[in-house]
Amino acid sequence: MIRLEEVSLRYGEGPQVLRRVGCHLEPGSFHYLLGASGAGKSSLLKLLYLAQRPSDGRVSLFGRDVARLTRRDRALMRRRIGVVFQDFRLIAHLSAFENVALPLRIAGEPEHRVRSQVSELLSWVGLKEAMEALPPTLSGGQQQRVAIARAVIGRPSLLLADEPTGNVDDRIATRLLYLFRELNRTGTTILLATHNEALAARMPQPRLRLVEGKLKEEPADTPPAEPAAPIPTEATGAGAR
Amino acid sequence: MRRFGFLFAAGEVPLARDASARFLPWLIAFMVYLAALALLAAVAMDAMAARWQGDLQGRLTVQVPAPGDPTNAQARQARLDRTVEALLQTPAVIEVEVLARGQTASLLEPWLGEAARAPELPVPDLIAVTLRRADAGLGDLAQRLEAAVPGATLDDHQRWLARLFALAGSIELLAFLVVALVGAAAIATVIFVTRTGLAIHRQVIELLHVMGARDLYVAEQFQGHALRLGLAGGLLGAAAATLTVLGVAWLLRGEQSLLLPSIRLGWLAWALLIALPPVTGLVAMLTARWTVLRTLARLP
Repeated sequence: MIRLEEVSLRYGEGPQVLRRVGCHLEPGSFHYLLGASGAGKSSLLKLLYLAQRPSDGRVSLFGRDVARLTRRDRALMRRRIGVVFQDFRLIAHLSAFENVALPLRIAGEPEHRVRSQVSELLSWVGLKEAMEALPPTLSGGQQQRVAIARAVIGRPSLLLADEPTGNVDDRIATRLLYLFRELNRTGTTILLATHNEALAARMPQPRLRLVEGKLKEEPADTPPAEPAAPIPTEATGAGAR
Repeated sequence: MRRFGFLFAAGEVPLARDASARFLPWLIAFMVYLAALALLAAVAMDAMAARWQGDLQGRLTVQVPAPGDPTNAQARQARLDRTVEALLQTPAVIEVEVLARGQTASLLEPWLGEAARAPELPVPDLIAVTLRRADAGLGDLAQRLEAAVPGATLDDHQRWLARLFALAGSIELLAFLVVALVGAAAIATVIFVTRTGLAIHRQVIELLHVMGARDLYVAEQFQGHALRLGLAGGLLGAAAATLTVLGVAWLLRGEQSLLLPSIRLGWLAWALLIALPPVTGLVAMLTARWTVLRTLARLP
Protein backbone atom coordinates (compact mmCIF):
# COMPACT_ATOMS: atom_id res chain seq x y z
CA MET A 1 0.00 0.00 0.00
CA ILE A 2 2.62 2.52 1.15
CA ARG A 3 6.32 2.03 0.54
CA LEU A 4 8.89 4.69 1.30
CA GLU A 5 12.49 4.03 0.26
CA GLU A 6 15.29 6.34 1.37
CA VAL A 7 12.94 9.31 1.21
CA SER A 8 14.33 12.73 2.09
CA LEU A 9 12.57 16.06 2.03
CA ARG A 10 13.87 19.60 2.15
CA TYR A 11 11.88 22.75 1.45
CA GLY A 12 13.98 24.94 -0.84
CA GLU A 13 17.32 25.68 0.76
CA GLY A 14 16.01 24.99 4.28
CA PRO A 15 17.07 22.17 6.61
CA GLN A 16 16.20 18.56 5.84
CA VAL A 17 12.76 17.74 7.26
CA LEU A 18 12.92 14.02 6.48
CA ARG A 19 16.18 12.08 6.28
CA ARG A 20 16.35 8.86 4.27
CA VAL A 21 13.04 7.64 5.64
CA GLY A 22 11.85 4.11 4.85
CA CYS A 23 8.78 2.04 5.73
CA HIS A 24 6.25 -0.35 4.30
CA LEU A 25 2.58 -0.36 5.32
CA GLU A 26 0.43 -3.29 4.26
CA PRO A 27 -3.05 -2.78 2.77
CA GLY A 28 -5.70 -2.72 5.49
CA SER A 29 -3.26 -1.73 8.23
CA PHE A 30 -3.77 0.97 10.86
CA HIS A 31 -0.73 2.92 12.05
CA TYR A 32 -0.15 5.93 14.21
CA LEU A 33 2.42 8.43 13.04
CA LEU A 34 3.89 9.89 16.20
CA GLY A 35 6.33 12.69 16.80
CA ALA A 36 6.65 16.02 18.50
CA SER A 37 5.30 19.14 16.84
CA GLY A 38 7.63 20.06 13.98
CA ALA A 39 9.02 16.54 13.69
CA GLY A 40 7.86 16.30 10.07
CA LYS A 41 4.58 14.37 10.41
CA SER A 42 2.62 16.75 8.22
CA SER A 43 5.42 16.79 5.67
CA LEU A 44 5.40 13.01 5.51
CA LEU A 45 1.63 13.03 5.03
CA LYS A 46 1.99 15.63 2.26
CA LEU A 47 4.28 13.24 0.43
CA LEU A 48 1.64 10.54 0.79
CA TYR A 49 -1.29 12.58 -0.44
CA LEU A 50 0.90 13.80 -3.31
CA ALA A 51 0.95 17.46 -2.35
CA GLN A 52 4.74 17.42 -2.20
CA ARG A 53 7.51 15.70 -4.11
CA PRO A 54 10.42 14.16 -2.17
CA SER A 55 13.84 15.74 -2.58
CA ASP A 56 15.25 12.26 -2.79
CA GLY A 57 14.16 8.63 -2.59
CA ARG A 58 11.11 6.80 -3.83
CA VAL A 59 7.47 6.92 -2.73
CA SER A 60 5.24 4.06 -3.91
CA LEU A 61 1.49 3.96 -3.37
CA PHE A 62 -0.84 1.15 -4.40
CA GLY A 63 2.19 -0.60 -5.87
CA ARG A 64 3.16 2.28 -8.18
CA ASP A 65 6.12 4.63 -8.03
CA VAL A 66 4.42 8.04 -7.82
CA ALA A 67 7.34 9.79 -9.54
CA ARG A 68 6.58 7.82 -12.70
CA LEU A 69 2.90 8.68 -12.81
CA THR A 70 1.48 10.97 -15.44
CA ARG A 71 -0.30 14.09 -14.22
CA ARG A 72 -3.64 12.47 -14.98
CA ASP A 73 -2.75 9.30 -13.08
CA ARG A 74 -1.60 11.33 -10.08
CA ALA A 75 -5.04 12.99 -10.00
CA LEU A 76 -6.74 9.60 -10.24
CA MET A 77 -4.52 8.24 -7.46
CA ARG A 78 -5.42 11.18 -5.21
CA ARG A 79 -9.07 10.16 -5.52
CA ARG A 80 -8.18 6.88 -3.77
CA ILE A 81 -6.76 8.80 -0.80
CA GLY A 82 -8.89 10.47 1.85
CA VAL A 83 -7.33 13.22 3.92
CA VAL A 84 -8.51 14.68 7.22
CA PHE A 85 -6.73 17.93 7.95
CA GLN A 86 -6.04 19.27 11.42
CA ASP A 87 -7.77 22.54 10.53
CA PHE A 88 -10.53 20.68 8.61
CA ARG A 89 -10.11 22.89 5.53
CA LEU A 90 -13.82 23.07 4.86
CA ILE A 91 -14.84 25.51 2.17
CA ALA A 92 -16.60 28.25 4.11
CA HIS A 93 -19.08 29.35 1.45
CA LEU A 94 -20.26 25.81 0.68
CA SER A 95 -22.80 23.99 2.83
CA ALA A 96 -21.89 20.87 4.77
CA PHE A 97 -23.60 18.88 2.02
CA GLU A 98 -21.63 20.59 -0.77
CA ASN A 99 -18.35 20.12 1.12
CA VAL A 100 -18.92 16.40 1.51
CA ALA A 101 -20.11 16.09 -2.09
CA LEU A 102 -16.87 17.53 -3.48
CA PRO A 103 -14.85 14.31 -3.93
CA LEU A 104 -17.77 12.64 -5.71
CA ARG A 105 -18.32 15.59 -8.02
CA ILE A 106 -14.61 15.75 -8.79
CA ALA A 107 -14.74 12.04 -9.64
CA GLY A 108 -17.63 12.80 -12.01
CA GLU A 109 -20.28 10.77 -10.15
CA PRO A 110 -23.85 11.28 -11.43
CA GLU A 111 -25.75 13.86 -9.40
CA HIS A 112 -28.45 11.47 -8.14
CA ARG A 113 -25.77 9.22 -6.63
CA VAL A 114 -24.00 12.22 -5.12
CA ARG A 115 -27.25 13.28 -3.44
CA SER A 116 -28.11 9.87 -2.03
CA GLN A 117 -24.58 9.00 -0.82
CA VAL A 118 -23.90 12.36 0.80
CA SER A 119 -27.29 12.45 2.52
CA GLU A 120 -26.77 8.94 3.86
CA LEU A 121 -23.29 9.65 5.17
CA LEU A 122 -24.21 12.97 6.77
CA SER A 123 -27.15 11.28 8.47
CA TRP A 124 -24.79 8.59 9.71
CA VAL A 125 -22.45 11.12 11.31
CA GLY A 126 -25.41 12.87 12.91
CA LEU A 127 -25.56 15.93 10.68
CA LYS A 128 -28.83 15.27 8.89
CA GLU A 129 -30.32 18.48 10.24
CA ALA A 130 -27.19 20.52 9.44
CA MET A 131 -26.74 19.51 5.80
CA GLU A 132 -27.42 22.96 4.45
CA ALA A 133 -25.51 24.77 7.20
CA LEU A 134 -22.35 26.67 6.30
CA PRO A 135 -19.21 25.46 8.14
CA PRO A 136 -18.67 28.70 10.11
CA THR A 137 -22.09 28.17 11.72
CA LEU A 138 -21.20 24.64 12.88
CA SER A 139 -19.49 23.70 16.16
CA GLY A 140 -15.92 22.37 16.12
CA GLY A 141 -17.14 18.80 16.55
CA GLN A 142 -19.65 19.15 13.73
CA GLN A 143 -17.04 20.64 11.43
CA GLN A 144 -14.77 17.74 12.23
CA ARG A 145 -17.46 15.24 11.30
CA VAL A 146 -18.05 17.06 8.02
CA ALA A 147 -14.30 16.90 7.34
CA ILE A 148 -14.20 13.18 8.08
CA ALA A 149 -17.32 12.54 6.00
CA ARG A 150 -15.67 14.38 3.12
CA ALA A 151 -12.52 12.28 3.52
CA VAL A 152 -14.37 8.95 3.43
CA ILE A 153 -17.28 9.68 1.02
CA GLY A 154 -15.28 8.40 -1.95
CA ARG A 155 -14.53 5.11 -0.11
CA PRO A 156 -10.78 5.72 -0.19
CA SER A 157 -8.35 2.85 -0.01
CA LEU A 158 -6.03 4.97 2.11
CA LEU A 159 -7.07 7.44 4.80
CA LEU A 160 -4.52 9.95 6.08
CA ALA A 161 -5.42 11.99 9.14
CA ASP A 162 -3.28 14.88 10.33
CA GLU A 163 -3.87 15.55 14.04
CA PRO A 164 -7.59 14.86 13.65
CA THR A 165 -8.10 15.06 17.40
CA GLY A 166 -6.11 18.24 17.85
CA ASN A 167 -9.09 20.55 18.22
CA VAL A 168 -11.52 18.41 20.19
CA ASP A 169 -11.92 17.26 23.78
CA ASP A 170 -10.94 13.79 24.99
CA ARG A 171 -14.42 12.34 24.72
CA ILE A 172 -14.77 13.23 21.05
CA ALA A 173 -11.15 12.25 20.39
CA THR A 174 -11.78 8.75 21.73
CA ARG A 175 -14.95 8.44 19.69
CA LEU A 176 -13.01 9.46 16.60
CA LEU A 177 -10.45 6.76 17.21
CA TYR A 178 -13.19 4.15 17.26
CA LEU A 179 -14.63 5.64 14.08
CA PHE A 180 -11.26 5.27 12.38
CA ARG A 181 -11.01 1.70 13.60
CA GLU A 182 -14.45 0.96 12.15
CA LEU A 183 -13.29 2.34 8.84
CA ASN A 184 -10.15 0.26 9.07
CA ARG A 185 -12.25 -2.85 9.58
CA THR A 186 -13.96 -2.18 6.26
CA GLY A 187 -10.54 -2.49 4.62
CA THR A 188 -9.34 1.12 4.57
CA THR A 189 -5.65 1.57 5.31
CA ILE A 190 -5.23 4.26 7.93
CA LEU A 191 -2.31 6.41 8.94
CA LEU A 192 -3.16 8.77 11.77
CA ALA A 193 -0.63 11.46 12.67
CA THR A 194 -0.70 12.77 16.22
CA HIS A 195 1.66 14.18 18.80
CA ASN A 196 -0.64 12.93 21.57
CA GLU A 197 1.00 9.78 23.00
CA ALA A 198 -1.78 9.30 25.55
CA LEU A 199 -4.38 9.20 22.81
CA ALA A 200 -2.45 6.57 20.88
CA ALA A 201 -2.19 4.50 24.04
CA ARG A 202 -5.99 4.35 24.32
CA MET A 203 -6.29 2.20 21.25
CA PRO A 204 -2.92 0.62 20.60
CA GLN A 205 -1.88 0.13 16.98
CA PRO A 206 1.56 -0.17 15.34
CA ARG A 207 3.41 3.12 15.42
CA LEU A 208 5.76 5.03 13.20
CA ARG A 209 7.76 7.54 15.19
CA LEU A 210 9.48 10.53 13.62
CA VAL A 211 12.47 11.85 15.52
CA GLU A 212 14.73 14.46 13.98
CA GLY A 213 13.62 13.53 10.50
CA LYS A 214 14.21 9.79 10.99
CA LEU A 215 11.39 7.22 11.01
CA LYS A 216 11.28 4.35 13.49
CA GLU A 217 8.70 1.55 13.54
CA GLU A 218 7.28 0.41 16.90
CA PRO A 219 4.92 -2.51 17.53
CA ALA A 220 1.42 -2.08 18.91
CA ASP A 221 0.76 -2.23 22.65
CA THR A 222 -1.95 -4.34 24.23
CA PRO A 223 -5.31 -3.47 22.63
CA PRO A 224 -7.90 -1.79 24.86
CA ALA A 225 -11.34 -3.17 25.58
CA GLU A 226 -14.09 -2.77 22.96
CA PRO A 227 -16.58 0.06 23.64
CA ALA A 228 -19.62 -1.33 25.36
CA ALA A 229 -22.11 0.74 23.40
CA PRO A 230 -22.31 1.97 19.78
CA ILE A 231 -20.37 5.12 19.09
CA PRO A 232 -22.63 8.09 19.92
CA THR A 233 -22.65 11.18 17.75
CA GLU A 234 -22.63 14.66 19.17
CA ALA A 235 -25.82 16.02 17.66
CA THR A 236 -28.22 13.09 17.92
CA GLY A 237 -26.59 10.51 20.11
CA ALA A 238 -27.46 7.98 17.39
CA GLY A 239 -25.34 4.89 16.91
CA ALA A 240 -22.90 4.38 14.10
CA ARG A 241 -23.91 2.24 11.15
CA MET B 1 -24.50 19.31 -22.44
CA ARG B 2 -22.60 18.45 -19.27
CA ARG B 3 -19.40 19.22 -21.14
CA PHE B 4 -20.43 22.87 -21.32
CA GLY B 5 -21.80 23.02 -17.80
CA PHE B 6 -18.89 25.28 -16.78
CA LEU B 7 -20.45 28.08 -18.81
CA PHE B 8 -23.29 28.36 -16.34
CA ALA B 9 -22.18 26.64 -13.11
CA ALA B 10 -20.62 28.75 -10.37
CA GLY B 11 -18.30 25.99 -9.08
CA GLU B 12 -16.52 25.67 -5.78
CA VAL B 13 -14.10 28.55 -6.30
CA PRO B 14 -16.12 31.66 -5.28
CA LEU B 15 -14.95 33.85 -8.15
CA ALA B 16 -18.24 35.74 -8.42
CA ARG B 17 -17.55 37.34 -5.03
CA ASP B 18 -14.17 38.75 -6.07
CA ALA B 19 -13.69 42.46 -6.69
CA SER B 20 -12.62 41.51 -10.22
CA ALA B 21 -16.16 40.38 -10.97
CA ARG B 22 -17.29 43.96 -10.44
CA PHE B 23 -14.61 45.95 -12.26
CA LEU B 24 -13.56 43.59 -15.06
CA PRO B 25 -16.75 43.93 -17.16
CA TRP B 26 -16.44 47.73 -17.08
CA LEU B 27 -12.76 47.58 -17.96
CA ILE B 28 -13.45 45.22 -20.83
CA ALA B 29 -16.42 47.34 -21.91
CA PHE B 30 -14.17 50.39 -22.17
CA MET B 31 -11.60 48.48 -24.22
CA VAL B 32 -14.24 46.98 -26.49
CA TYR B 33 -15.71 50.46 -26.96
CA LEU B 34 -12.33 51.79 -28.15
CA ALA B 35 -11.71 48.75 -30.33
CA ALA B 36 -15.20 49.00 -31.85
CA LEU B 37 -14.76 52.67 -32.72
CA ALA B 38 -11.35 51.96 -34.26
CA LEU B 39 -12.77 49.06 -36.28
CA LEU B 40 -15.73 51.14 -37.44
CA ALA B 41 -13.33 53.90 -38.50
CA ALA B 42 -11.34 51.37 -40.51
CA VAL B 43 -14.49 50.04 -42.16
CA ALA B 44 -15.66 53.59 -42.98
CA MET B 45 -12.29 54.51 -44.49
CA ASP B 46 -12.33 51.35 -46.57
CA ALA B 47 -15.84 52.18 -47.82
CA MET B 48 -14.79 55.73 -48.63
CA ALA B 49 -11.74 54.57 -50.58
CA ALA B 50 -13.94 52.18 -52.53
CA ARG B 51 -16.37 55.02 -53.25
CA TRP B 52 -13.60 57.28 -54.55
CA GLN B 53 -12.33 54.56 -56.78
CA GLY B 54 -15.83 53.75 -58.03
CA ASP B 55 -16.60 57.38 -58.77
CA LEU B 56 -13.40 58.04 -60.68
CA GLN B 57 -12.97 54.74 -62.45
CA GLY B 58 -13.26 55.07 -66.24
CA ARG B 59 -13.14 58.85 -66.09
CA LEU B 60 -10.52 61.34 -67.22
CA THR B 61 -10.21 65.07 -66.96
CA VAL B 62 -8.57 67.09 -69.71
CA GLN B 63 -7.26 70.49 -68.77
CA VAL B 64 -7.05 73.04 -71.62
CA PRO B 65 -4.98 76.11 -70.76
CA ALA B 66 -6.62 79.50 -71.31
CA PRO B 67 -5.51 81.46 -74.41
CA GLY B 68 -3.07 84.36 -74.00
CA ASP B 69 -6.02 86.71 -73.65
CA PRO B 70 -8.42 84.96 -71.26
CA THR B 71 -11.26 87.25 -72.28
CA ASN B 72 -11.06 86.13 -75.93
CA ALA B 73 -14.05 83.77 -76.08
CA GLN B 74 -13.47 82.83 -79.73
CA ALA B 75 -9.90 81.69 -79.14
CA ARG B 76 -11.01 79.79 -76.05
CA GLN B 77 -13.80 77.99 -78.02
CA ALA B 78 -11.44 77.13 -80.90
CA ARG B 79 -9.00 75.49 -78.48
CA LEU B 80 -11.83 73.54 -76.91
CA ASP B 81 -13.15 72.38 -80.29
CA ARG B 82 -9.72 71.06 -81.30
CA THR B 83 -9.39 69.23 -78.04
CA VAL B 84 -12.88 67.67 -78.22
CA GLU B 85 -12.18 66.56 -81.79
CA ALA B 86 -8.98 64.86 -80.72
CA LEU B 87 -10.87 63.13 -77.91
CA LEU B 88 -13.73 61.93 -80.09
CA GLN B 89 -11.24 60.38 -82.51
CA THR B 90 -10.19 58.05 -79.72
CA PRO B 91 -12.16 54.73 -79.78
CA ALA B 92 -12.06 54.31 -75.97
CA VAL B 93 -13.90 57.58 -75.40
CA ILE B 94 -17.70 57.39 -75.34
CA GLU B 95 -18.65 60.73 -73.84
CA VAL B 96 -17.13 64.18 -73.62
CA GLU B 97 -18.51 67.01 -71.49
CA VAL B 98 -17.04 70.48 -71.54
CA LEU B 99 -17.53 72.17 -68.20
CA ALA B 100 -19.04 75.64 -68.60
CA ARG B 101 -16.99 78.57 -67.39
CA GLY B 102 -19.47 79.02 -64.53
CA GLN B 103 -18.95 75.40 -63.35
CA THR B 104 -15.17 75.81 -63.34
CA ALA B 105 -15.55 79.06 -61.43
CA SER B 106 -17.73 77.27 -58.84
CA LEU B 107 -14.92 74.77 -58.21
CA LEU B 108 -12.52 77.63 -57.49
CA GLU B 109 -14.92 79.75 -55.50
CA PRO B 110 -14.12 78.21 -52.12
CA TRP B 111 -10.53 79.47 -52.50
CA LEU B 112 -10.86 82.62 -54.65
CA GLY B 113 -14.32 83.83 -53.75
CA GLU B 114 -16.10 86.10 -56.25
CA ALA B 115 -12.79 86.71 -58.06
CA ALA B 116 -13.05 83.21 -59.53
CA ARG B 117 -15.71 84.51 -61.91
CA ALA B 118 -13.58 87.37 -63.26
CA PRO B 119 -13.25 86.87 -67.09
CA GLU B 120 -9.63 88.08 -67.12
CA LEU B 121 -8.57 85.28 -64.77
CA PRO B 122 -6.60 82.70 -66.85
CA VAL B 123 -8.56 79.73 -65.61
CA PRO B 124 -8.08 76.61 -67.75
CA ASP B 125 -11.11 74.91 -69.26
CA LEU B 126 -11.99 71.43 -68.07
CA ILE B 127 -13.37 68.55 -70.10
CA ALA B 128 -14.82 65.50 -68.34
CA VAL B 129 -14.25 62.35 -70.39
CA THR B 130 -16.01 59.02 -69.91
CA LEU B 131 -14.28 55.90 -71.19
CA ARG B 132 -15.89 52.80 -72.63
CA ARG B 133 -14.14 50.64 -70.00
CA ALA B 134 -12.06 51.48 -66.94
CA ASP B 135 -9.00 49.81 -68.42
CA ALA B 136 -9.52 51.04 -71.98
CA GLY B 137 -6.26 51.89 -73.81
CA LEU B 138 -5.84 55.54 -74.78
CA GLY B 139 -3.10 55.07 -77.36
CA ASP B 140 -1.32 58.32 -78.25
CA LEU B 141 -4.13 60.55 -76.91
CA ALA B 142 -1.79 62.60 -74.74
CA GLN B 143 0.44 63.45 -77.75
CA ARG B 144 -2.56 64.29 -79.95
CA LEU B 145 -3.97 66.62 -77.29
CA GLU B 146 -0.62 68.33 -76.96
CA ALA B 147 -0.52 68.72 -80.76
CA ALA B 148 -4.08 70.13 -80.80
CA VAL B 149 -3.55 72.60 -77.96
CA PRO B 150 -0.04 73.01 -76.57
CA GLY B 151 -0.11 72.65 -72.81
CA ALA B 152 -3.32 70.55 -72.74
CA THR B 153 -2.95 67.82 -70.11
CA LEU B 154 -4.65 64.56 -69.43
CA ASP B 155 -5.38 63.63 -65.80
CA ASP B 156 -6.47 60.05 -65.07
CA HIS B 157 -6.72 60.90 -61.31
CA GLN B 158 -4.32 58.11 -60.39
CA ARG B 159 -1.87 60.37 -58.60
CA TRP B 160 -4.64 61.95 -56.55
CA LEU B 161 -6.24 58.58 -55.84
CA ALA B 162 -2.90 57.08 -54.81
CA ARG B 163 -2.49 59.80 -52.19
CA LEU B 164 -6.01 59.33 -50.89
CA PHE B 165 -5.56 55.56 -50.78
CA ALA B 166 -2.32 56.00 -48.87
CA LEU B 167 -4.16 58.22 -46.37
CA ALA B 168 -7.01 55.73 -46.06
CA GLY B 169 -4.52 52.88 -45.69
CA SER B 170 -2.67 54.73 -42.94
CA ILE B 171 -5.89 55.36 -41.03
CA GLU B 172 -6.91 51.71 -41.41
CA LEU B 173 -3.47 50.58 -40.22
CA LEU B 174 -3.73 52.89 -37.24
CA ALA B 175 -7.18 51.50 -36.45
CA PHE B 176 -5.92 47.92 -36.53
CA LEU B 177 -2.97 48.95 -34.36
CA VAL B 178 -5.42 50.39 -31.83
CA VAL B 179 -7.44 47.16 -31.93
CA ALA B 180 -4.28 45.10 -31.44
CA LEU B 181 -3.13 47.25 -28.50
CA VAL B 182 -6.56 47.23 -26.89
CA GLY B 183 -6.76 43.46 -27.40
CA ALA B 184 -3.33 42.98 -25.83
CA ALA B 185 -4.32 45.18 -22.88
CA ALA B 186 -7.54 43.19 -22.43
CA ILE B 187 -5.63 39.90 -22.50
CA ALA B 188 -3.09 41.23 -19.98
CA THR B 189 -5.95 42.36 -17.73
CA VAL B 190 -7.60 38.93 -17.84
CA ILE B 191 -4.26 37.26 -17.07
CA PHE B 192 -3.73 39.59 -14.11
CA VAL B 193 -7.27 39.07 -12.80
CA THR B 194 -6.99 35.28 -13.22
CA ARG B 195 -3.67 35.17 -11.39
CA THR B 196 -5.13 37.29 -8.62
CA GLY B 197 -8.06 34.89 -8.41
CA LEU B 198 -5.68 31.95 -8.22
CA ALA B 199 -3.79 33.63 -5.39
CA ILE B 200 -6.93 34.63 -3.46
CA HIS B 201 -8.45 31.14 -3.73
CA ARG B 202 -5.21 29.25 -3.39
CA GLN B 203 -6.44 27.21 -0.41
CA VAL B 204 -9.61 26.04 -2.13
CA ILE B 205 -7.68 25.21 -5.30
CA GLU B 206 -5.05 23.24 -3.40
CA LEU B 207 -7.82 21.38 -1.60
CA LEU B 208 -9.49 20.47 -4.89
CA HIS B 209 -6.08 19.39 -6.19
CA VAL B 210 -5.51 17.13 -3.18
CA MET B 211 -8.96 15.59 -3.66
CA GLY B 212 -7.96 14.54 -7.15
CA ALA B 213 -9.37 17.37 -9.23
CA ARG B 214 -7.65 17.56 -12.59
CA ASP B 215 -6.28 20.93 -13.66
CA LEU B 216 -9.08 21.24 -16.19
CA TYR B 217 -11.68 20.95 -13.41
CA VAL B 218 -10.31 24.13 -11.82
CA ALA B 219 -9.59 25.80 -15.17
CA GLU B 220 -13.21 25.33 -16.26
CA GLN B 221 -14.41 27.35 -13.26
CA PHE B 222 -12.10 30.23 -14.15
CA GLN B 223 -12.80 30.09 -17.86
CA GLY B 224 -16.57 30.04 -17.33
CA HIS B 225 -16.25 33.06 -15.05
CA ALA B 226 -14.02 34.90 -17.56
CA LEU B 227 -16.40 34.07 -20.41
CA ARG B 228 -19.37 35.54 -18.54
CA LEU B 229 -17.46 38.70 -17.60
CA GLY B 230 -15.99 39.09 -21.11
CA LEU B 231 -19.39 38.65 -22.69
CA ALA B 232 -20.95 41.22 -20.36
CA GLY B 233 -18.12 43.70 -21.00
CA GLY B 234 -18.26 43.06 -24.74
CA LEU B 235 -22.01 43.69 -24.86
CA LEU B 236 -21.67 46.92 -22.90
CA GLY B 237 -18.79 48.18 -25.05
CA ALA B 238 -20.40 47.25 -28.36
CA ALA B 239 -23.69 48.86 -27.31
CA ALA B 240 -21.90 52.06 -26.30
CA ALA B 241 -19.99 52.14 -29.62
CA THR B 242 -23.23 51.63 -31.58
CA LEU B 243 -24.92 54.47 -29.72
CA THR B 244 -21.88 56.71 -30.30
CA VAL B 245 -21.84 56.10 -34.06
CA LEU B 246 -25.59 56.52 -34.35
CA GLY B 247 -25.32 59.72 -32.32
CA VAL B 248 -22.57 61.15 -34.54
CA ALA B 249 -24.55 60.17 -37.65
CA TRP B 250 -27.58 61.98 -36.26
CA LEU B 251 -25.54 65.10 -35.50
CA LEU B 252 -24.05 65.13 -39.03
CA ARG B 253 -27.33 64.32 -40.78
CA GLY B 254 -27.68 66.20 -44.06
CA GLU B 255 -23.94 66.95 -44.26
CA GLN B 256 -22.49 65.60 -47.50
CA SER B 257 -18.80 65.62 -48.30
CA LEU B 258 -16.76 63.64 -50.77
CA LEU B 259 -13.79 63.72 -48.42
CA LEU B 260 -15.62 62.56 -45.29
CA PRO B 261 -16.37 58.88 -44.81
CA SER B 262 -20.05 58.10 -44.56
CA ILE B 263 -21.22 57.93 -40.93
CA ARG B 264 -23.65 55.07 -41.15
CA LEU B 265 -23.60 51.45 -40.09
CA GLY B 266 -23.34 49.13 -43.09
CA TRP B 267 -23.66 45.37 -42.93
CA LEU B 268 -19.94 44.91 -42.22
CA ALA B 269 -20.08 47.39 -39.33
CA TRP B 270 -23.13 45.64 -37.87
CA ALA B 271 -21.45 42.27 -38.28
CA LEU B 272 -18.38 43.55 -36.39
CA LEU B 273 -20.53 45.02 -33.61
CA ILE B 274 -22.45 41.77 -33.23
CA ALA B 275 -19.29 39.65 -33.35
CA LEU B 276 -17.33 41.72 -30.81
CA PRO B 277 -19.06 40.49 -27.58
CA PRO B 278 -18.74 36.75 -28.29
CA VAL B 279 -15.19 37.20 -29.56
CA THR B 280 -14.31 39.16 -26.42
CA GLY B 281 -15.87 36.47 -24.22
CA LEU B 282 -14.04 33.75 -26.11
CA VAL B 283 -10.67 35.53 -25.86
CA ALA B 284 -11.22 36.10 -22.11
CA MET B 285 -12.19 32.46 -21.65
CA LEU B 286 -9.18 31.07 -23.51
CA THR B 287 -6.83 33.48 -21.75
CA ALA B 288 -8.14 32.45 -18.31
CA ARG B 289 -7.93 28.77 -19.21
CA TRP B 290 -4.36 29.11 -20.46
CA THR B 291 -3.32 31.09 -17.36
CA VAL B 292 -4.84 28.59 -14.94
CA LEU B 293 -3.41 25.54 -16.67
CA ARG B 294 0.04 27.12 -16.79
CA THR B 295 -0.10 28.05 -13.12
CA LEU B 296 -1.49 24.72 -11.91
CA ALA B 297 1.14 22.84 -13.87
CA ARG B 298 3.57 23.99 -11.17
CA LEU B 299 1.65 22.08 -8.49
CA PRO B 300 3.05 18.60 -7.81
